[in-house]
Amino acid sequence: MKIIKALILAVSSIVFVAGPIFAQAPIKIGASISLTGTYAKLGSYTQDGYLMCAKEVNEKGGLLGRKLEFVVYDDRSDPPTAIKLYEKLITEDKVELVMGPYSSPITKAAATVSEKYKKIMMASLAAETAIWEQGYKYLFMTISPAEVYMQGLVELAAERGLKTIAIITEDTSFALAAGQGTADLAKKKGMQVVLHEPYPKGTTDFSGLLIKLKALNPDVISGGTYFDDSVAITRQMKELDVNPKMFGATVGGDVPDFGKQLGNTAEYVYGSTQWAENLQYPGVKDFINNYKKLYNREFSYHAPAGWGACQIFAEGIRRAKSLDSDKIREQLLKLKITTAFGDYQVDERGFQIAHKMVLIQWQDGKRVTVWPSNLAEAKPRYPTPAWSARK
Amino acid sequence: MTIHFTGTMLLQGIVSGLLSGGVYAMIALGMALIFGVMRVINVAHGTLLMLGGYVTYWLFALYGMNPFLSLLISFPLLFVVGLLLQRFFVSRVVGAPELSSLILTFGLSIFITNVAVMSWTSDYRSVEFLTGSFLLGPIAISKPRLVTFGFALLITVAAFVFLNKTKTGKAIRATSQHRELAQVCGINVRRIDLITFGLASALAGAGGSLISVMYSIFPEMGRGYVFKSFLVIVLGGAGNYPGAFLGGLLLGVVEGLTSLLLTAQLSEVIAYVLLVLVLLIRPTGLLGGRT
Repeated sequence: MKIIKALILAVSSIVFVAGPIFAQAPIKIGASISLTGTYAKLGSYTQDGYLMCAKEVNEKGGLLGRKLEFVVYDDRSDPPTAIKLYEKLITEDKVELVMGPYSSPITKAAATVSEKYKKIMMASLAAETAIWEQGYKYLFMTISPAEVYMQGLVELAAERGLKTIAIITEDTSFALAAGQGTADLAKKKGMQVVLHEPYPKGTTDFSGLLIKLKALNPDVISGGTYFDDSVAITRQMKELDVNPKMFGATVGGDVPDFGKQLGNTAEYVYGSTQWAENLQYPGVKDFINNYKKLYNREFSYHAPAGWGACQIFAEGIRRAKSLDSDKIREQLLKLKITTAFGDYQVDERGFQIAHKMVLIQWQDGKRVTVWPSNLAEAKPRYPTPAWSARK
Repeated sequence: MTIHFTGTMLLQGIVSGLLSGGVYAMIALGMALIFGVMRVINVAHGTLLMLGGYVTYWLFALYGMNPFLSLLISFPLLFVVGLLLQRFFVSRVVGAPELSSLILTFGLSIFITNVAVMSWTSDYRSVEFLTGSFLLGPIAISKPRLVTFGFALLITVAAFVFLNKTKTGKAIRATSQHRELAQVCGINVRRIDLITFGLASALAGAGGSLISVMYSIFPEMGRGYVFKSFLVIVLGGAGNYPGAFLGGLLLGVVEGLTSLLLTAQLSEVIAYVLLVLVLLIRPTGLLGGRT
């Protein structure tokens, strides 16, 4: 028996040493991504990022001498479907690694599966703090948490001596957390929160809320929004002649379509983003060029986030020199790295503590980075003029 | 900080609510017609509305057509879509238990929505045409909503004139009052079914065209309006068409005032509380429905 084992070991090591690169089977990485349904667009950027990362890793010789190969299924933007798909990926397709899906709610669901099978899940696009309060051992975070999305807006407002802020948010987990974080930051800066009110998901008519805001006339209005609501609120602020000195919207304000849909109405609106094309991280230009070469389309931060998460994961594996979950975990916990997506460092929960948000403002139809000041392309245009004073 | 509600704020809330209510009324009238004539609850009403929205969007995006002018296309186009749906699908469940029509129209709505997702993606789109407001002293009257309200009112009144003055319209009302008796009197109820479904779809399509000027367009945009229409019909009294109109305006005002005086989260709750109250106190609706 011992002789046979030794023989196998000898033969396999010869193959390993003498054989060409990728003589072994590729490392299969499983992921479910929203390719249809509400999150389809953002999910497709995430997938682009993953596949582009695998291609680049393979061109540089792969990982542990093996090629990376993604197995991706469509979860239709539905958390229960994602649960089934990760079960299938791990038990039937026997993938060796998994990467996260798109969005906080789907990651929240999917993590229950990866945790059960003790697979590391590199979550690329989940920003909800509560997910990392469940005591999961194998879940790692890439992007900044919801609570700090509007830090830039609050700091810019405080610098200008503004005193009052109103916060309106969709009543779902990410938006509520973003709203709460904004309120806490504002209070710390000595601002008064004059209204903090959630509205139901799917609201289209914001008149009632905006009439209240108009009466309160706060210096700053901060929206914990996704896309559709941010567009509706901005448009209806104009209709009801609501005139804060600053208005920011979390997710929607940053999306290219925000400006496309609203035209001039989008001017002066602030939005927050995890990443921007003009940031001075190493490799940003290469990322942009490679992405355009490969996919030939515009993208949002979701693509570099997916790409970055995959690169960080790869680095963790390189350092662990193994696909063993516990060994990778140990490395990912101590890893400090800056990729084209920005800084990565996590605390003992796997919760992101180094990555920075940036604040953009719509200026002349473009998203311009205005905060933090060391990354800013231009000064914020302040204050936002009243609607009646615009052309 | 507490908010002091002033008369101006209340008036602003009522004005905004009435302006939204006009569109609710028009959309609900279509659903009420189908229910009145065929006893079919058309869950696909919202997807027809969505199709109307896309007609306006594409005409605007590709040819720069004025979204209000595009009503001239979305209305007849959706009329034809309605005819086809009635002819090939819904006609099979008229007279069957109400659950059959619920399942059928639910299935149709899923099918049409998914075709829309595949054809046009689930991206949000919008028609940036008319923005801003007229200021009447302290009251802001949104330009897109005012014009939208005007068109909704015009189309609804035209539909009432059609129902009350024309022979076909009277036949629709007769069928709605008593299907068998209408048939005995020589009304071709199958034909009336077709026209009714066509007209109702056209009203939904027009609703979609008008809504696209105010809100974003996406494949699931119609979902909320199905529930709203249902609410409006019950408020106004099933089968009572002027009641549907009143119910629409009422719903708009209730929603507007609730989100102003209480919170936006409660606006739907209050609307449904109102529904329960009406059912308890006046089960036939505010204006009294058909028994």
